[in-house]
Amino acid sequence: MNVIAKSSNLAPYLKASVPTIANGLRPVAATGKVQKKKIAHPTPVERILNDSLNKAILSGPIRIRSGPAASTQVSKVRFAHTDIRVPDFSAYRRESLKDPTARNRDSADDRKTFSYVVAAVTGVGTAYGAKTIVYDLVSSLSASADVLALAKIEVKLDSVPEGKSAVFKWRGKPLFVRHRSASEVEKERKVDVSSLRHAQHDSERVQRPEWLIVIGVCTHLGCVPIANAGDYGGYYCPCHGSHYDASGRIRRGPAPLNLEVPNYEFVDNTVVIG
Amino acid sequence: MGVSTLLYNAVFKRTSTFAVAILASAFFFERGLDVACDSIFENINKGKLWKDIKHKYEQ
Repeated sequence: MNVIAKSSNLAPYLKASVPTIANGLRPVAATGKVQKKKIAHPTPVERILNDSLNKAILSGPIRIRSGPAASTQVSKVRFAHTDIRVPDFSAYRRESLKDPTARNRDSADDRKTFSYVVAAVTGVGTAYGAKTIVYDLVSSLSASADVLALAKIEVKLDSVPEGKSAVFKWRGKPLFVRHRSASEVEKERKVDVSSLRHAQHDSERVQRPEWLIVIGVCTHLGCVPIANAGDYGGYYCPCHGSHYDASGRIRRGPAPLNLEVPNYEFVDNTVVIG
Repeated sequence: MGVSTLLYNAVFKRTSTFAVAILASAFFFERGLDVACDSIFENINKGKLWKDIKHKYEQ
């Protein structure tokens, strides 16, 4: 009864007017007609794709409104995630740097040396492998030992009498072995080198003066010259008329060079060519 | 500090010395590998090689 009797307690309930601003005691009753603009709410965006994410991000000029309607409708995407833990990389870190008080400079040389040693070991292995591959590749191109053995011939010097020119087959080409007489040697040595087309002295073309060993292929077009023929008493090529002297040098005719001298060496009374 | 610092300053710091060191050690590595492989082969085939049976055929 005491409560009812106090008129000040009842006063807000007995008011005839309708409050439009909440006074804490009575809720704001929307009984009175209040002219307000309707607020258009954007339909909430479902964030599925890049495009819809973009729509959800605040962009352009933003008008911040306070109040219950504003706080529920502002769709703001936060990208600064302070709640995500920084991953632990200690499994990948060097032991010497795990201590946060360690100085980088103290262990820098150790760490760099380790890295460079790994690189150097790899480099050594690669260099060895590359060298082996190149070596095998190149050596596979060279002639095998049996081919090299067949590529040599031995000529018994007794079998060639003086003044004769014997023909042998060497690496598919004819080989002339000529036993020169002393007068022939004398004649060829006296030839003036400056008068020759392909200037070579006789001593450059023979190892022992009495033995002339040349490949029997004309340097013009590759015919086989005839021995002891021609104007100079040496070789004569019947194809186009090249005259070689008894030292195998070109003296007349179209051939540009002297007959080729192969590599050979004398072993006692035989000569090994090749 | 110590060996690694010395090694780093002398060899690894410059590319020129690094490359020379790789090539030089490749040479010794190759020689060492060849000798090691040969000795393993001869060890496995002991008694079958020509140098082991040579005395039977040569005086």
